[in-house]
Amino acid sequence: MYHFDWAIFLKYIWPPSAFQDPLIRNGLIVTVIVSVVAQALGVILGLFAALGKMSKLAIFRWLSEIYIWYFRGTPLIVQMSLLFFGFGVTHIYDFPTIFLGVVAISGAIQAGTLALGIDEGAYMAEIVRAGIESIDPGQMEAAKSLGMTFGLAMQRIVLPQAAKVIIPPLGNEFNNMMKTTSLMVVISAGELFYGFEQVNARIFKPFELFIAASLYYLLLTTIWSLIQARIEAGLGERKGTTKGPGMMQRLFTGAGGKGVR
Amino acid sequence: MVHPNVKLADSNIIVKAEKVNKYFGSLHVLKDIDIEVRKNEVVVIIGPSGSGKSTFLRCINHIEKINSGHIYVNGHLIGYHDRSGKLVEDSERNIARQRAEIGMVFQRFNLFPHLTAIENIIEAPTRVRKTPAAQARAEGERLLVRVGLADKRDQYPNQLSGGQQQRVAIARALAMKPGLMLFDEPTSALDPEMIGEVLDVMKELAQEMTMIVVSHEMGFARAAANRIVFVDEVRSSNRPRRKSSLPIPARIGRGCS
Repeated sequence: MYHFDWAIFLKYIWPPSAFQDPLIRNGLIVTVIVSVVAQALGVILGLFAALGKMSKLAIFRWLSEIYIWYFRGTPLIVQMSLLFFGFGVTHIYDFPTIFLGVVAISGAIQAGTLALGIDEGAYMAEIVRAGIESIDPGQMEAAKSLGMTFGLAMQRIVLPQAAKVIIPPLGNEFNNMMKTTSLMVVISAGELFYGFEQVNARIFKPFELFIAASLYYLLLTTIWSLIQARIEAGLGERKGTTKGPGMMQRLFTGAGGKGVR
Repeated sequence: MVHPNVKLADSNIIVKAEKVNKYFGSLHVLKDIDIEVRKNEVVVIIGPSGSGKSTFLRCINHIEKINSGHIYVNGHLIGYHDRSGKLVEDSERNIARQRAEIGMVFQRFNLFPHLTAIENIIEAPTRVRKTPAAQARAEGERLLVRVGLADKRDQYPNQLSGGQQQRVAIARALAMKPGLMLFDEPTSALDPEMIGEVLDVMKELAQEMTMIVVSHEMGFARAAANRIVFVDEVRSSNRPRRKSSLPIPARIGRGCS
């Protein structure tokens, strides 16, 4: 019978003691920061891809289609490996370490963040497009009739309204993003799961350590669910319209969850 | 054919359409339309739905593109320019610049729901004309007084009745100080009791504005129009088509004002 090592388990689920190990502390920080940066990149790329897909010019439509087709049609883990190892070995780009003051950002973290963001952009493109298309075309016509250009009308009239439709699925995407950062383990970027893997390599307690790791992810996604519920309640209140699923529903029915790609 | 002048000499002609044709697929919606609207004229277009009235109105500010012919607004070809005898579609910026001089009021109001009444009104003046915010706000408030909605300044569209929304939409169009106002069935989405308040604003406006109004309101036409244009053809797929779906100026009721 397996002897469960409570001492190790408790040490690694309790943040103050776990954080004495820099692998865990830095791993958590990296996971959070990479998630935010990659999601932001995804939103920006998604916006451009969505606009490209709706463009009058065929070249933009094709570029967007190919981008979305490729990144939705291939596994993220392959994209990430190709970007980091493939680009490195061919010297297309070596991902040298970037120093920002006292912080060093390793090449693996850069490549991982980039891959996560670019992949995410392909999914965000569909979300943004659905958001834009949910807005009555009369809004764009009214804006144009007032002398606004397409860009100004998008920025001032259509996107602020589309945001209401985009934000709930965007929140779900971010939840997913925090979990998906764990794939960066294949390129040894120092995120949270990598930290636990390294500790495991040292002491070999996979059962205790990976339960602990899962609890950290659960903590992150639960905190995010609370924040998301609050944001969506705010959205609904201001205009007195629909409310998103409640907190409990969100946690236990897996609303919007998609699993690892 | 001699290629058309891009500019009209007579500055009193606000809108001039020449042999305008428009198709939706195989449906010939506008057939050889000719019309001239002079400064301060109020033209009401009346006719059954599906006859191309709204489409024609939307061609005047190039929200719909025409397939052939020419439309001049404020003396300039709208949506196109002349490049050595050939008509080329204008840049987006130039079209936007021309549209800024043409106010349009829609059947379904199309107010911006995320902005208050006053914000709806000052959005285009501040962003397109770069009018200083304080000045735009002052002018916007004057317009709200004019349409009788000074107290609704900070309300969102969904807090206003249909009639109030349409009056804000009129104020929003006027805020750009256009030389021409287009009204696309401005009262047909309204409850009957709200039609009057919108028509009153339009009647007052008709005293001093060049207006083209697509409407079913005979009462308004009688009271405010200098000219009424009747569209007499119902577009039905099996019926043989008459010569023109907008027989302008073939059947014009004149002197109704």
